[in-house]
Amino acid sequence: MQTTRDDLEPAVRIRDLKRDRVNFVLENVDLAFANSLRRVMMADLPTIAIDLVEIQANTTVLPDEFIAHRLGMIPLVSSNCDEGMRYNRDCTCMAACRYCSVQLRLDVACHNNETMDITSNHLEVYEGVDYEDVGEGEAGDEPTKRGEYFGHPVGKNDPDVAPVLICKIRKGQELKLRCIAKKGIAKEHAKWSPCSAVSFEYDPHNKLRHTTHWFETDERAEWPLGDNASEEEKPRDDEPFDFNAQPNKFYFEVETDGSLGPQEVVMQGLAELQSKLAKLVIALKKTEPGMLPGERADEAAPADAWGGAGSGWGGGESGGSGANVSGSGWGNTSPNRGAATGGWGTGGGWTSPQQTGAAGWSV
Amino acid sequence: MNAPNRHELFVLEDNENALEVTEDTKIPNAATFKIVKQDHTVGNMLRAQLLAMPSILFAGYKVPHPLHPYFLLKIQTDGTTTPQAVFEAACTRLIGTLGGLETKFKREFSFKDATAGDAHAHPVGGMGMGMGEDAYGGGGGAAWAGGRDYLDF
Repeated sequence: MQTTRDDLEPAVRIRDLKRDRVNFVLENVDLAFANSLRRVMMADLPTIAIDLVEIQANTTVLPDEFIAHRLGMIPLVSSNCDEGMRYNRDCTCMAACRYCSVQLRLDVACHNNETMDITSNHLEVYEGVDYEDVGEGEAGDEPTKRGEYFGHPVGKNDPDVAPVLICKIRKGQELKLRCIAKKGIAKEHAKWSPCSAVSFEYDPHNKLRHTTHWFETDERAEWPLGDNASEEEKPRDDEPFDFNAQPNKFYFEVETDGSLGPQEVVMQGLAELQSKLAKLVIALKKTEPGMLPGERADEAAPADAWGGAGSGWGGGESGGSGANVSGSGWGNTSPNRGAATGGWGTGGGWTSPQQTGAAGWSV
Repeated sequence: MNAPNRHELFVLEDNENALEVTEDTKIPNAATFKIVKQDHTVGNMLRAQLLAMPSILFAGYKVPHPLHPYFLLKIQTDGTTTPQAVFEAACTRLIGTLGGLETKFKREFSFKDATAGDAHAHPVGGMGMGMGEDAYGGGGGAAWAGGRDYLDF
């Protein structure tokens, strides 16, 4: 059997873990997989952020909408937001209630001669009930699942973290407002992204030539190598171009804005990808009644795709020929499809430890 | 004013199916999957996983329009199995890989938590011990730790 990436277990190595960031190397997965992990961490994880602002008094120099926008961008502690809160749109309440929102209030006035900073530390989480709560949603246990300081501005309870400046006021000016923070994901608005940056690199020596380095006279001198280059072997000067090579090692640095910790971002990212795929499998089974468990004995499909290692999939080495049906608008068929006939059913199928992870999904 | 709600880009409507399968009438063992309210995140990952499977002759995806929140995934198999079955197998396999990765991440994170106190004294200590599967890990890790300048919290 030829050695493809399929024979190797994906591996991960955390190089650095800080309070707001994690740096790790992901190996033996393909580019699409690594990129999906990156995308899901940036755009698909729920956090909370201020979404509605009711301004009661604003005599500052900034207009209301300017302040409302600034408030929206303030990161709020969102640990376990996924389970600790409902989406406002799914809640049965009239407008916003304690199950689907967190209320924050701010009431600041300047009485001194010096310029005063209004910062995120002036935002107070309001636990009380008020007129909008009359139509509270169906009772649930969400609030008990929330982490400590849920909904508080990040860094409010930590003297080492500088607060976020909202506005500066002088003597006689005041700002009084009420904010409703809601759960959301970054696909709706970037303020809900738990990540301030995700760096992603592979092939630091550009051996695969996925990019072209423009240069004046000397490519090596004009394109200094980054830190990740020391993880991989330098290409020899006379090394021929390997056009079958695939990227295999990916360098991530996930930097969060503090709403979720780096560990939570990575773990939830993996969980979110799994649930996306699981939902597709369930949807597929709904479209085909014959695929439902119990009725599938007469199917041509494998008897038990969930648990069976190497079941079905006859003729494991087949399928290599004439692989490249390209043309039209369908991008990205692998150029070396013909050669990629890995095991899959010949050598006992794929390994079992991975399979156990999938066993929990049912229809 | 008349802009659609932005969550319509990623939330399924009531009674909307996440998936629609259209079998190809002209090509044998081929089908097009319309996957609604998903994007390149799932599309590209599935496409790559499908191409790595031996019974696949063709797999490709496209997002026909960036404002329309769905993608099309075309699959042709060699006849030993149906496109639907390979699709399911690809999803299952990806879930398995992700699950395996989850345990590995958990282990790595717990290891890092335990050594968080020593991290400053021995920045290289934790590197080589990670998975032990990295060919360049030893030397590379040392150079990395030495040259790094992270903000200290």
